[in-house]
Amino acid sequence: MKKEIEQFDSIVIGAGHAGCEAALALSRTGNKTLLLTLSLDAIAFLACNPSIGGTAKGQLVGEIDALGGEMGRNADKTAIQIRMLNRGKGPAVQSLRAQADKNAYHEEMKKTLEKEKNLFVRQGEVDKVELDGEYKIIITRLGLMYKAKSVVFATGVYLKSEIIIGECRENVGPNGFKNSSKLSDSLSALGIKLLRFKTGTPMRLHARSVEYNKMELQLGDNGIMPFSFMTEGRVENKAVCYLTYTTPETHEIIRKNLDKAPAISGEIKGIGPRYCPSIETKVVRFADKDRHQLFLEPEALNTQEIYLQGFSTSMPADIQKEMLHSVVGMEKAEIMRDAYAIEYDCIDPTQLKPTLELKTIEGLFFAGQINGTSGYEEAGAQGLIAGINASLYNQNKEQLILKRSDAYIGVLIDDIVTKGTNEPYRMMTSRAEYRLLLRQDNADMRLTEIGRNIGLVDDERWQKFQAKKGKMAKIEQKLETKVKVDEKLSNLCKENDENVPKESIKLRDLMRRNNIDIYKLDKTYGLFDETEKSLLEFVNINIKYEGYLKQQQEDVEKMLANENVTIPDEFEYTNLKGLRKEAIEKLSQIRPLNLGQASRISGVSPADISVLSILVKKFKEK
Amino acid sequence: MRLSGQKSLDLALKIFHNPKLNSENITPRFMYFGKLKLDEDVFEECLMVYFKAPFSYTGEDIVEFQIHGGVLLAQKVVEVCLKAGARMAEPGEYSKRAFLNGKITLDKAEAIIGEINAETEGELKSSLQITNGNLAEKILVEQEKLKTMLAEIEVGMDYPDETEELGLKLNTLERLQEIQNNLNSIIEQSASATYLKNGINVALVGKTNVGKSSVLNAFLGEDRAIVTDIKGTTRDSITESFIYKGIKINLIDTAGIRETEDIVENIGIEKSKKNLNSADIILFVLDGSEEKTDEDILIESLLKEKRFITVINKADKKRILQKQQNEIEISALTNKNIDKLKQMIVDLVITEEIDANSLVLTNERHLQILKDACAIIDEIINTNVLSLDIISMLVKKLWQTLGKITGNTENEDIINLIFSKFCLGK
Repeated sequence: MKKEIEQFDSIVIGAGHAGCEAALALSRTGNKTLLLTLSLDAIAFLACNPSIGGTAKGQLVGEIDALGGEMGRNADKTAIQIRMLNRGKGPAVQSLRAQADKNAYHEEMKKTLEKEKNLFVRQGEVDKVELDGEYKIIITRLGLMYKAKSVVFATGVYLKSEIIIGECRENVGPNGFKNSSKLSDSLSALGIKLLRFKTGTPMRLHARSVEYNKMELQLGDNGIMPFSFMTEGRVENKAVCYLTYTTPETHEIIRKNLDKAPAISGEIKGIGPRYCPSIETKVVRFADKDRHQLFLEPEALNTQEIYLQGFSTSMPADIQKEMLHSVVGMEKAEIMRDAYAIEYDCIDPTQLKPTLELKTIEGLFFAGQINGTSGYEEAGAQGLIAGINASLYNQNKEQLILKRSDAYIGVLIDDIVTKGTNEPYRMMTSRAEYRLLLRQDNADMRLTEIGRNIGLVDDERWQKFQAKKGKMAKIEQKLETKVKVDEKLSNLCKENDENVPKESIKLRDLMRRNNIDIYKLDKTYGLFDETEKSLLEFVNINIKYEGYLKQQQEDVEKMLANENVTIPDEFEYTNLKGLRKEAIEKLSQIRPLNLGQASRISGVSPADISVLSILVKKFKEK
Repeated sequence: MRLSGQKSLDLALKIFHNPKLNSENITPRFMYFGKLKLDEDVFEECLMVYFKAPFSYTGEDIVEFQIHGGVLLAQKVVEVCLKAGARMAEPGEYSKRAFLNGKITLDKAEAIIGEINAETEGELKSSLQITNGNLAEKILVEQEKLKTMLAEIEVGMDYPDETEELGLKLNTLERLQEIQNNLNSIIEQSASATYLKNGINVALVGKTNVGKSSVLNAFLGEDRAIVTDIKGTTRDSITESFIYKGIKINLIDTAGIRETEDIVENIGIEKSKKNLNSADIILFVLDGSEEKTDEDILIESLLKEKRFITVINKADKKRILQKQQNEIEISALTNKNIDKLKQMIVDLVITEEIDANSLVLTNERHLQILKDACAIIDEIINTNVLSLDIISMLVKKLWQTLGKITGNTENEDIINLIFSKFCLGK
């Protein structure tokens, strides 16, 4: 008897932060979408920190939101503390970070998925992927079969994952959830190259056992803008965090037990991230430091569980306890969940196009930690792009590539598909060369229109966005007016240590003075109404930073000159004359889409790009 | 001297002055006479031709300047163009552009690739020389400092919670000032190398009858070496040269002095300024047997911020003139202190001892890069109230600018340094 194969437009495997965005993007753009997950209870699970955002990551969330993604809205709904990082270091690097209620985050996202009419959420383990002409067939452990034109793989760290605590190794996923034991073999069989990475998470404690009076209190900031453009009002701070430190005794215990630490003894072979080292790695690598910071973050409002940031370890459980009790204020702390390291399969992301589609097989998209990245926000961003492109693929439309000058998302994807990564990739502001242009406060200006064209920005958001643009134009217009040299003006200048202009001056020009900004102008002249006031910061940045913004814009234009020279799919690198051997090897491996991408491959020199530009032109003319 | 690209004409008109000419009325392929603005109040006469795209070698808008000969003048014009927004062409770039714009046929492609690779190799060789040399090591040291600084700024931005102890004790400005000083001394040394190649240009100034021509004659004396083929010097302006301890010393615009002293009176302020500007060092001749006259004071006022030696002539007569700044007493008549003066010129211009075989920065592109770097530092230091994100943007630009010489600017390097220097992460 022939088995029934249920048909969808698209299938998304995995309902973590990448999978949820992908599934929502697909279903919201009219694709009948199946979202398969190992456990419905692990949808949008915050497996590590109970927080969203942070440096560079806050920007990613803003960009996801502007394109019509869900992460920002979900974070706003479930935030219990919010902070603006890097205040005072300039607008380019300011980022939001929120502590999210881990349970609420999962529940709210699940609700959102369930409401989507084109989306079918189902629990089940995928064992195999088969190709059938333009269709892909997905076979589950229970023998159920589904087919679709496109598939998004967003399996997170679940592929053949193993949790390691001391000598104990278990074939399970994060937090002991079921893992995926067969899918990575099926990917290998399709010719996909796999890597093995590792990461880890610290222990969770019972709040009642912690002596907070020995620690520093960390409060949220008030009156901060939320992540999402669509969230009305401000996030209310309902919880607090604490800061404490390890002691020399902690380090002594760790040193004494290094032979039992799998990460140090060589037991763990996977490559771990440098920016997320276990506490034992920190003690070994930075031996001269006599203490390390630890942050206590509440996991959710309705639980006593506390997340101990900075204390990730794979030491045996009894040693974990001993280590913990040596930390300031943790002398009697009760562990509720042990810290663990986790190893998992992921793919080498250089096998992907900048659309996140596999180069070798059409219609297969990859997003999130399976691509060797780390972090909820990085995953969400890729999920959104993979979902959008799977949708465009289904519609036979040109796929979306965000450039490095468009968004952090563009930087992230370009980095991993062009340079690959040898550790879980984390987004950092230092990775973005045009970060003055890629600010959190202008994410909507940069990307809403793109989201609208794709169909993810609904009428409500679009109208709100248009209204905002209108208000900004009005603010700009008001700044064009000239003010007379009168007492008001001279007082304003004198108070701010600026010379009083000799003749009437445009407000905009007045704003260029070092010590005068839009707020001071408003205070003196009462220029703006309530609705305009919330937008002043953006205009302020645009005018005060005009020269530098222009500098970066010019850099972008230089970059785009190369970006706009495409390299045809059929272009052959072998037997090319004039290019160095190393360059030929790298270029034929990555197969860049254009000269710009080619120039960012390590091992390809500017002279190679010069030569390549000639060869490409010659090829095109033939 | 050629400019190619969309903005060539705009850029050219910024520096080329012809009162009747503007971008609207210029006729392509016509030769225009005008003045290139080299500095505040310093102009150089030259010819300009505009080729409108696509009817040019590269197929883009091209502007050509025809200037008087000489490396120094050429360098100055390049500098002015760069300042106005041009950049140096990459190896083989003109041919490459010509090809990409369809001006050169396909069968020439191979030749152009050869050209690019050959020129790149040439540059590489000279950078290799640099990396062996003393100066290059110094550049690398400065670049490493910048890298460390960048890592320290960046880590604070990416890990604000973990780096509070680092705080803002970055001393960015002090550290940049130090780097600038070091770069400047590299530039000076390189400039010294240029002197080795082209000689030192010396201008003699002073009022009528002060004895410039006798100083000149004393200078030339037995060392006289009439120059027939001085590469890189204009015949017009340099009439005499001599060699002192292996270094050529060119005397600028001495023609008039030799003919008749009276002509000096006719040399207007404009011309004097121009002469002073093209000189590496100026000899300001005063008569020691009398007080300064108004004319002396007028000339002196032109020397502000210039490198000059006050030459007190007529040491054989009784000294009436007060002691002058950086002075030397000579007698053109008795040859007193003439050799000492020559040594002073050499010492002042060539600040550090260089033997002719040492490896130095002689590549104009590299020199320009160092100057660019210093300009960026000026920008950071002289602008008030820069936020840290802008400072880091400029420091990064600085680091990348030096990287054009050393080739070390993988962004990943900064990130690697961040993680090796700081203990971070959850």
